[in-house]
Amino acid sequence: MFDSLDISASALLAQRTRMDTIAGNIANMNTTRNTRGEPGPYRRRFAVFATGRPDAPDKAGVSISKIAIDQSPFRKEYQPNHPDHDKDGYVSYPNIDLAVEYVNALEASRAYEANVTAMEVSKAMMNASLRLLA
Amino acid sequence: MLIEGLMNRGNGALLEQVVNFAAQRHKLLLDNIANVDTPNYRQKDLSVARFSSMMRQRIEERRRNGVASFDDISSEVENPVQGILFHDGNNRSMEQLATDLAKNAMMHNLAIELLRKQFQQMDMALKEKVV
Amino acid sequence: MINGVNNFANVGRVGDVAGKNAQSPGETGGASFSDTLRKSIDEVSKLQEDASRAVEDAMTGKTDNVSGVMTAVEKSDLAFKTLLAIRSKLMEAYEEIKSIQI
Repeated sequence: MFDSLDISASALLAQRTRMDTIAGNIANMNTTRNTRGEPGPYRRRFAVFATGRPDAPDKAGVSISKIAIDQSPFRKEYQPNHPDHDKDGYVSYPNIDLAVEYVNALEASRAYEANVTAMEVSKAMMNASLRLLA
Repeated sequence: MLIEGLMNRGNGALLEQVVNFAAQRHKLLLDNIANVDTPNYRQKDLSVARFSSMMRQRIEERRRNGVASFDDISSEVENPVQGILFHDGNNRSMEQLATDLAKNAMMHNLAIELLRKQFQQMDMALKEKVV
Repeated sequence: MINGVNNFANVGRVGDVAGKNAQSPGETGGASFSDTLRKSIDEVSKLQEDASRAVEDAMTGKTDNVSGVMTAVEKSDLAFKTLLAIRSKLMEAYEEIKSIQI
């Protein structure tokens, strides 16, 4: 019975990790340089879900198996005065669409809420079982 | 033999089976809710209809023969086809999951309350005192 | 337990002997009293059966009426408690009468 809380907790962790990646994407929407300062746009990251808890893969639950990098093409804008433009005057911006990120964030937050509610239900059931002794 | 007979009077065994079934099903439903965003995940469930019909059979048996065993009711996990198949291969239905979770929890709590009442009554009879 | 009720019929008869002039409703004392008690036991038994059936129906999903089930269970519980209280009172009375020193 106490295992039920672990199942929901794994989901909470996974959804929060997903929110972190989404937040990172939104924050880096216009980043045209990489961590070393060289020109290289930020690539969109997304979380890949998999069944099974990280420490016990055959038990019920969910975990993030990896944070994958989106390989879709960059967004190009014609800005000849920008220091990072290429030979044709185009600057490559990250392949991040705010609308898509927003919808994903909403979904993650709803899934988080759903799992919190599921946890409350689990706790209520456990309390009822404990009252048998009272 | 005598003590066992006293313990098996009433609906104790039936209620116990319902509680176990509800607890088992609860874990599966939690797993489904946790995996709403997992691609290619198949929903898992226990068949309530089959469980109910097996219980009814045992109850009929008990009515005819006086005793029936409720112990060997086992339920297998199955993959129901519910809701539409999304593009990521998952056939979730958030509304269905939430409803199922709530109903299952209520059945569980109801069975526990009735079980408690049963034990209380037996306790009263043994103590010969109105608790 | 049902046979034990007949023992209490004698309580009524003792009262008869002791209070010959009393025109109490318990004058034809023993028989009707044990009958009443037996009827109550039957009633309690029936209520418990009803409750049991209601619980079975609710658990197998045959009925949706949870409040009905709870009411039936509570009724049978109260009836049982009443019977238990009556029995305790009768035992007390019996002990008291037993300890009367002639």
